[in-house]
Amino acid sequence: MKTGFTFLLLTAITAGAQNKPDTTIKSKRALSEVVISAGTFEASDKAKGASLTPIDAVTVAGSNADITQALRSLPGAQQIGEQSGLFVRGGTGDETRQFIDGTLLKTPNYPAVPGIPQYARINPFLFKGILFSSGGYSALYGGAMSSALIMESTDLPEKTSASFSVFPANLGAGFQHLAQNNKSSYGANLNYSNQSVYNSIVPQKPDYYAGPAYADGNFNFRIRTGKTGILKLYSNWTYSDVGMRNPDIDSSLLNYTYRVRGWNSYNNISFRSLLAHNWKVESGAAYSSNETNTAGSLTDWKNTPVPGKTGFRQIRSDFAQARIVFSHFFPKGQALRIGGEHFYTHDKGHSNDSALTLTDQLSALFAEGDIYLAPNLAAKAGIRAEYASVLHKAVVAPRLSMAYRLPDGSQFNIAYGVFYQEPLNDWLYLQRNLTFSSATHYVLNYTKKAHNRFFRAEAYYKKYSELVKTTPDVNNNGHGYAQGIEFFWRDKKSIKNLDYWITYTYLDTKRNDLNNPYTLRPAYASSHTTTVAIKKFFQDISTSVNVSWAFAAGRPYYNIKDGSITDQGTTRTYNIANLHVAYLCSFFKHWKWKDFSGFAMGVNNIFGTQQIFGYQYSANGSNKQPVALPATRGYFIGVFMSFGIDRTDDFLNNNL
Amino acid sequence: MKKLFISALLFVSGYSTHAQSDALQAAVNKLDQAKTVSDYTQLEKTFTGAGGSPAWLSPYYAALCNAKIGFLLQDDGDKIEPYSERGEQQAKQALALLDSTRQRRELAEVYTVLSMIYRTKVFINPMTYGRKYGMLSQQMLDKAMALEPQNPRALYVAAWVKYYTPRMWGGDKEKAKQLAGESLAKLANPGTDVYPHWGKAEDQLLLSKIK
Repeated sequence: MKTGFTFLLLTAITAGAQNKPDTTIKSKRALSEVVISAGTFEASDKAKGASLTPIDAVTVAGSNADITQALRSLPGAQQIGEQSGLFVRGGTGDETRQFIDGTLLKTPNYPAVPGIPQYARINPFLFKGILFSSGGYSALYGGAMSSALIMESTDLPEKTSASFSVFPANLGAGFQHLAQNNKSSYGANLNYSNQSVYNSIVPQKPDYYAGPAYADGNFNFRIRTGKTGILKLYSNWTYSDVGMRNPDIDSSLLNYTYRVRGWNSYNNISFRSLLAHNWKVESGAAYSSNETNTAGSLTDWKNTPVPGKTGFRQIRSDFAQARIVFSHFFPKGQALRIGGEHFYTHDKGHSNDSALTLTDQLSALFAEGDIYLAPNLAAKAGIRAEYASVLHKAVVAPRLSMAYRLPDGSQFNIAYGVFYQEPLNDWLYLQRNLTFSSATHYVLNYTKKAHNRFFRAEAYYKKYSELVKTTPDVNNNGHGYAQGIEFFWRDKKSIKNLDYWITYTYLDTKRNDLNNPYTLRPAYASSHTTTVAIKKFFQDISTSVNVSWAFAAGRPYYNIKDGSITDQGTTRTYNIANLHVAYLCSFFKHWKWKDFSGFAMGVNNIFGTQQIFGYQYSANGSNKQPVALPATRGYFIGVFMSFGIDRTDDFLNNNL
Repeated sequence: MKKLFISALLFVSGYSTHAQSDALQAAVNKLDQAKTVSDYTQLEKTFTGAGGSPAWLSPYYAALCNAKIGFLLQDDGDKIEPYSERGEQQAKQALALLDSTRQRRELAEVYTVLSMIYRTKVFINPMTYGRKYGMLSQQMLDKAMALEPQNPRALYVAAWVKYYTPRMWGGDKEKAKQLAGESLAKLANPGTDVYPHWGKAEDQLLLSKIK
């Protein structure tokens, strides 16, 4: 199990909050301001009271340093345990897109392995702001029918520091260097994770013959330009190798051998600055290159290949994006934003004997206004136009949200929007004569924040059109809907040093897409989901304990064959509890490089309940195997250290 | 005629200064009795317009009211910020009215209140505001202590910090008790004039928690 060692580090650092400098620009928001918030959870470094901070959001136990896993503890997301990604409000994982400083993070996770979620490539602690939209998001973003995860990377670090972590399956080291004048910084991190030793101690259901191994290296450079500008560069390089054998579903004596290797590079450069006359510019560019090789074959008990089911696929995908947004600020918090962006995608590869190629140029223009209607009423209206060369189609998407503040400080929000998304490349390889799929969102939301408590209720209706169907051929005749109601309650006050939240998600969704013979509830949709996240810091023993629990009603499963359903049912309920414990200490208290260190351990699925996510069927339908966790429980234990030079005095001299 | 006008002006301004000092004294007397957020909100308004002499006292007391409100609201992070912001401005205004070389005792009083103001910013959300303002608060307290090591109000704030800081980050309840005791000993007869004299009730409250 890969762990978020930085989580622990940050727990250590924030617990030591009293003594550490920060260069956060202070918030000037007035208390009575109406903040439009329908459809979104904002985790910001300026959070007040019981609002979420990025650290709150990503330190949920069991999230394996993957932001999308962590956000499953918020309402609207499904508890999907067999693949990566965030499944929001009846949408597939592909309908959620992640953006870093405005640019698309196209492949956030290591390449998919059937039945087993893969880790995120990017450390979630890179971000000082995380906006999780489960519907009705801004016109500044597109290409996601269900959800946008809008992340803002940190600016300059607070100090020069170095860190190390040693977990049996996971080694990491990194440093950040802050220039003497506090104007620029650079840093690099290396992580290597090899699960083979761990897997020899904690047996896994697939027999891994290669890895699983994951390596990542990343580099960042940030510099302040002028009084208000900052230029940031981030580069991330990853490699993974997973090879596994499972008993073949169609034969009792053979194994199915599967191996996936991936190489990925993601590079992002962004610049933002205030300009004269109340203008602001934010621009970004990203380039990513991804290569995934997968191979599957049947092998006998001696691991000798046997004919049948042999498949090989290799895809290299180059992706580039450039974007610029200008904002103009008016009195009373009003603003106008206009901008444009361009996405270039080029895929080249082959699947067995057929060549796969695809080139797409997608251009978008957008404008959005924050309009002040009355002291307690604000609106955000936007429009986004997109043209995709591969589809030869242009679309225009309107977006609108409004917020009304009640005298007691609570707020009603509404949002409406149309969200277009191109069909997945896998379908475009086969059929070019397709169009955008779309979802129309209607969201009604109520929030109240007071006394370090936060209550939020949201109801929505979402209509899907032009979804991709794969029968009789690949076409856009699919459709569907999703509707539901969600609750969120967070309380940091009732019990001292205890922070908890509880969510409930009701989801009613059906769609007729892909090879569905008729309109069905998707196999990833559970009607009822409840999550609980609890965090407690025991001051006297310097120990933090995080517990998370998730419960989801059973999901439907189907065996669809030749246009009809030959078998179907509902899985058992999903019920999982995870525990993380960290003991924080300092090994070299009196040294100049005082360290923030600690020991950490965690268990995922503490109670060892059996989780079944669905079933896999043999070709003839007679054999049916559950898709379950690779091991009943997951464990980690290790040590982490961070050293930093205390630059308190520099900071004070520059800030007072 | 001109002379008469000037003396009349002098008389009037002298009178009004006197009246303002009365107003300041009255507000300070009320402050000694204040307990709730609404008491302090009311007094903050009074002090803001009180004027009086010496000039630094009215912004000083207005800032103190905002600090007190912040402490009373410490479990309601959503509400604190406007009070902290105003208090910070008022405290800085008071600092600007003082002579940085000669008025060491007065400066110690203002830095003590500024330290409390920064502490209230930590309450907004310790996770997000704690790093910066916790440290700033400590720095302001250190300045106060350096200017007047035995200032009973600075000692009280030091005691408060020792009491509420987790042990691994330097908290120490015994030390808190000792500091609050020292502070209290210096406040046996704090007086009632306009010069800062608060702290007795605060010390007693803190000490009652430590037992």
